[in-house]
Amino acid sequence: MNDEKNGIEVEGLVREFKNGPRAVDGIDLTVEPGEIYGFLGPNGAGKSTTVHMLTTLLPPTSGSARVAGLDVDKDGAAVRKLIGAALQEAALDPHLTAREHMKLQTSLHGLPKEERIRRGDELIERVGLSEAADRRVGGYSGGMKRRLDLALALVHRPRVLFLDEPTTGLDPQSRASLWAEVTRLSADDGVTVFLTTQYLEEADQLANRVGIIDAGRIAAEGTPAALKSEIGRPSVEVVPRDPADRAASKAILDRFGIPVPAAREALGIRLNEGIDELVGIVRAFDSEKIELASLVLNEPTLDDVFLAKTGRHLEGAGEADSAELPLPESDPVAS
Amino acid sequence: MSFLNRAYFASAWAVAWRYLHNLYTKPAVFVPGLIFPLFFLAAFAGGLSSVGDVPGFDYYDFTAFQFCFVLIQASALAGVFVGFSIAGDFEMGMGRRMMLATSNRSAIVIGYAIGAALRLIVVWVIITGVSLLAGMGVRGDGFDIAGMYMLGLLANLAALFFSAGIALRFRSLQAGPLMQMPVFIILFLAPVYVPQELLTGWIEPVASVNPVTALLDGARSLIAGEPSGLLLAYGVAIGLIAVMAVWAMRGLRKAEVAG
Repeated sequence: MNDEKNGIEVEGLVREFKNGPRAVDGIDLTVEPGEIYGFLGPNGAGKSTTVHMLTTLLPPTSGSARVAGLDVDKDGAAVRKLIGAALQEAALDPHLTAREHMKLQTSLHGLPKEERIRRGDELIERVGLSEAADRRVGGYSGGMKRRLDLALALVHRPRVLFLDEPTTGLDPQSRASLWAEVTRLSADDGVTVFLTTQYLEEADQLANRVGIIDAGRIAAEGTPAALKSEIGRPSVEVVPRDPADRAASKAILDRFGIPVPAAREALGIRLNEGIDELVGIVRAFDSEKIELASLVLNEPTLDDVFLAKTGRHLEGAGEADSAELPLPESDPVAS
Repeated sequence: MSFLNRAYFASAWAVAWRYLHNLYTKPAVFVPGLIFPLFFLAAFAGGLSSVGDVPGFDYYDFTAFQFCFVLIQASALAGVFVGFSIAGDFEMGMGRRMMLATSNRSAIVIGYAIGAALRLIVVWVIITGVSLLAGMGVRGDGFDIAGMYMLGLLANLAALFFSAGIALRFRSLQAGPLMQMPVFIILFLAPVYVPQELLTGWIEPVASVNPVTALLDGARSLIAGEPSGLLLAYGVAIGLIAVMAVWAMRGLRKAEVAG
């Protein structure tokens, strides 16, 4: 399935709404076949509008987009045969069971009659809904609905899969399960995945490459590692146990890097050379007999990238925190 | 017409299947479209049957006279209620799912039309059964009766395409009155209780140009076994369907553009 026509090519894509701003303002991007592309941005940045255009739900105002080698504006019917999509709100009929949804979706896609039941059962099992398959969807949890939605998007074996904020509102377990399935689809089946998210961790862990969109424009694009290294070196934050040692602490830190904003009571620097200097910092504090309440090493995060590129933090970062997601980039080394 | 292949009809049938499935698992959706014609039948064919005795009313059976109106009315309302379903589907996101999954989206409208036609059979069985139990006389032969029901089906399709056009433009149940009211009004501006010749005042010229009048006259002539005005009746019905089908398909394009 992993052939060269499974990608996405977008040039100067624009979508204007009547009496509104440009929701998407001339974006260019390329998604390679079999790649997981994370489209990261805050609410209202233009992520969903972009997905709607790429999935033929919304015609572009100008610009061009080719999905699986076909123009979304001119070859909409053919594009729809090759793509699957799970949109932001899982559009499910609460009065139908999962199995009935499969029947509906396989028929809508025009699958041969003999294949419909087999394919439906196979996907229900794959997303772990076999036991609930004959229950009405109205009684499903959010995670079950998302998994069913994903399964429905796969009934016709799409080459390109669009997932619009697929894990918003999910518990960590459901989120991890969905991530595993998306990774498998890309790695084993060669499906190209275009994933929008406002969760930094999701983009960081899942995506081969990330595009950061803000106010309808692409602010940055690249692999998560490249984007993070682009904006610089790690930073260190220290809190002296005795506030009287603050000036001396600052003098030590200034030898290792340039000051950066830090949390209240903390002193922060961006390291001049990189993580190797951490040992020197610890030794310097030791030799000066300054006791520290905490010392935290912060690797650059995608939020730092977003901040550097747009001048503000990503709104979704706060939501991810409140959902008690671990932030692996923050690496406390001493306290 | 190369799009009219197996996949197209599979898509259309899927839409129709879901429509019927929900209809018959949710009586609250199915019953209202039936209650009004039955109420009308009971109230007018039963309680006001003496209207049939007024001078100049020379139709053979007042219940049959009213039945034809109820048939056209019930058929049209069944079409209108499909519009409600379409609007509801777009409100809850199912419309988008269908738009994404069908390569040729006209299959969605056709699917609803198939569903509506199948729903109509049940409606017809019920109102016909009630009318026969109420003593309705039928003079037409099998062909006449088939022709009468065909007029009902055509009224259903015209109303369905009209309401689908509204639903696809507004994609909200709040547009319900816009689908229902015009159909109600046009139905009651026809010769409902007495033949057109007995109408007086402003209603008479309005009824004479109302397309529903032609449908009613055609249906009443068929059940009476004296077919007349059928060319006009079928011509009007097919013309309405053609216009409303264009209206519905343009509505579909609007829904596509709106995303």
